[in-house]
Amino acid sequence: MSFDADVIIVGGGLSGLSAGITAVREGLNVILLERGDYSGAKNVSGGRMYIHALKKLIPDALEKAPLERPITKETFEIFCGNRKITFSFEEKDKKNSFSVLRAKFDRWLASEAENLGLLISYSTLVLNAYREGGGITLETNRGTLKAPLIIDASGVTSVVFRMLGLRKFTPDKWMLGVKEIIKADVNLPENEGEVRTIVGEIKGVKGGGFVYTNKDTLSVGMAVTFDSLPKSEFPAKDLVEAFKERIEIEGEILEYSAHAIPYYGFKNLPPLYDKNLIAAGDSAGFLINDGFTIRGMDLAIGSGMIAGLASKKIVESRNFSNTEIYYEMLKDSFVLKHLELAYNRFELINSPSTFSTYPEILCNVLSDMFTVEENRDTLINDVIYRLKEKGIPLSQVVRDLWKAVK
Amino acid sequence: MVPLLKRLGLNTYNVDKKPHIEVNTDICINCKDKPCTLSCPAGTYEALPDGRIAVHYERCLECGGALVICPFGAIKFRFPEGGISYRYG
Ligand SMILES: Cc1cc2nc3c(=O)[nH]c(=O)nc-3n(C[C@H](O)[C@H](O)[C@H](O)COP(=O)(O)OP(=O)(O)OC[C@H]3O[C@@H](n4cnc5c(N)ncnc54)[C@H](O)[C@@H]3O)c2cc1C
Ligand code: SF4
Repeated sequence: MSFDADVIIVGGGLSGLSAGITAVREGLNVILLERGDYSGAKNVSGGRMYIHALKKLIPDALEKAPLERPITKETFEIFCGNRKITFSFEEKDKKNSFSVLRAKFDRWLASEAENLGLLISYSTLVLNAYREGGGITLETNRGTLKAPLIIDASGVTSVVFRMLGLRKFTPDKWMLGVKEIIKADVNLPENEGEVRTIVGEIKGVKGGGFVYTNKDTLSVGMAVTFDSLPKSEFPAKDLVEAFKERIEIEGEILEYSAHAIPYYGFKNLPPLYDKNLIAAGDSAGFLINDGFTIRGMDLAIGSGMIAGLASKKIVESRNFSNTEIYYEMLKDSFVLKHLELAYNRFELINSPSTFSTYPEILCNVLSDMFTVEENRDTLINDVIYRLKEKGIPLSQVVRDLWKAVK
Repeated sequence: MVPLLKRLGLNTYNVDKKPHIEVNTDICINCKDKPCTLSCPAGTYEALPDGRIAVHYERCLECGGALVICPFGAIKFRFPEGGISYRYG
C-alpha cells in the first residue's frame, strides 16, 4: 500500500508543531493537518508558559517569539466567605515563564515550522480514522490520507485515539477552562508581569480562577471540573463574569473563550501509544494541575519533540507496531518525571477537604488570631479545636502536609 | 454581568450550514436536571417549557465539553468545518 507521508500529525497546536519541527529536522516526510484557518485559531490557554522546553525547540525563541510578559510576581488568594488570605512572591528579572496569547503564539510557531519545511494543511478537519493496509487512513473534509505512523496531537479530544475506540471520556477527568481577555492599562515595566491564582471564590465548583498580566490586556478565567459544574452557584456561561465581579475586575471585554483541559493525573493517564499511533500533549493527557499552577504547554512542546524523535526511530526500524519506543523515551524525559512528581499534590487537591474544608479552617484560625477578646487560647489549641469542629484528625493534616511537599 | 450573547458576538464565527451538534430531545424529556444547560459555556442548550431542549449550535465555542456533559449520551457532537476563530486565545 502506498502512503502519503512517513508521518501524519493531527493538530497544529503546540504539541503537533513541536513534533512536526523535530520530525522535519530528523529528515522525515511529514504532513500536519490543522482544522483551524491558522494555528491557534481554536486554541485557548490561561496562559502562562514555562519556557524551558520552548528554548530547546527554538534556541533563540526569547528574542523571536511573541511572548507577552515575564512572570515576576505570583499572588495567591484563598477566599472563605467574606475573608481572604493573600500572599505574594516577587522575583525581579525572572525569565522562567511568560504570559502568552495562543492565537498569536501558535501562529508564530507554525510560521517557524513552515520555514523549516513542514507541510501544514490548514482548514483540514479529520472526520474519521481507521486501520488499513498496515497503516492508518484518515478521512478529512479535503479527502483521504494514509500513513504508517500517526501522531495524535489534536488536544484533549484526542480525535484519532477516540475514533479508533481507544478513549473513554468522563466529566471528572476533564476541566472546563473559561476565559475573557480584558483591555487594561497595565502599570508595570515591560519586564514585569503577574499571575494571580484564586481559590474558593465561586461555591460548588472544584477548581480555581486566574488572572494573567499580558502586555496591554488581562487574561481572566476559571478552570473547574466538568462534574462540579452542575453544582456550581453559577452556570458555566456566567462563571467568568461572576468571578470577575467577585474579584473586582472591570474593563472592556475583547474576547470570550472556552476549552476543555485534561485532568487525569499520572496514575490515570489514558493509552499513550498503540500500533501505528502515538499521542502527544493534551491528547495524551499530559497536564499538571497541582493547585498552584496549570502546566500543559511545556509538556505539549516537550512531548511533541519526543514524538518527533521517536518517529524517526520507528520509521527507521520499519516496525510500526514498535511505538513503545516513544513511551520509553517519555519515561526518560521531564514529561513523565514531572507528572509523577506532581501526582501526590494532584491526589491531595482531589480530596474533598482540600478545596473546601482546609481553607475554611485556615481562615477560622487566622480570624481567631487577629481577634482580641477576653477569652483567648493558645494558637495550637485553637488549631486543634477548629480541626475537631470539622472532624479532621491532626494525623490526617500531617499526612496531607507531607503529601503536599513530597 | 455582560450578557452571554454580547460576549459571544465578539468572536469570529464561520457557522456551518448543517448543525455539528445533534440532540436526541426524546431522551431530554425524561432528564430532570438537564446538566447540559448548566455546563455549556456557550449556552448552547436551552431548556424549553415542554421539557425538551433547544440547541443553539451556532453559539458553540468548541470547548469539547459536549463529549462529556450529557450523562445519558443524548448529545452527538463533532467539530464543525468552519466554526470559531480566536484573535487572542
Ligand atoms: C483556560 C485554560 C487555561 C490554561 N492555562 C494554562 C497555563 O497557564 N499554562 C499551561 O502551560 N497550560 C495551560 N493550559 C493547558 C494548555 O492550553 C494545553 O495543555 C495545551 O494547549 C496543549 O497543547 P496541544 O498542542 O496538546 O493541544 P491544543 O493546543 O488543544 O491543540 C490541538 C490542535 O489540534 C487541532 N485539532 C483538533 N481536532 C482536530 C481535527 N479533528 N482535525 C484537525 N485538527 C484538529 C486543533 O484545532 C488544535 O490546533 C490551559 C488550558 C485552558 C483551556
Ligand atoms: S463543545 Fe462546549 S461550547 Fe460547544 S456545545 Fe459542547 S459544551 Fe457547549
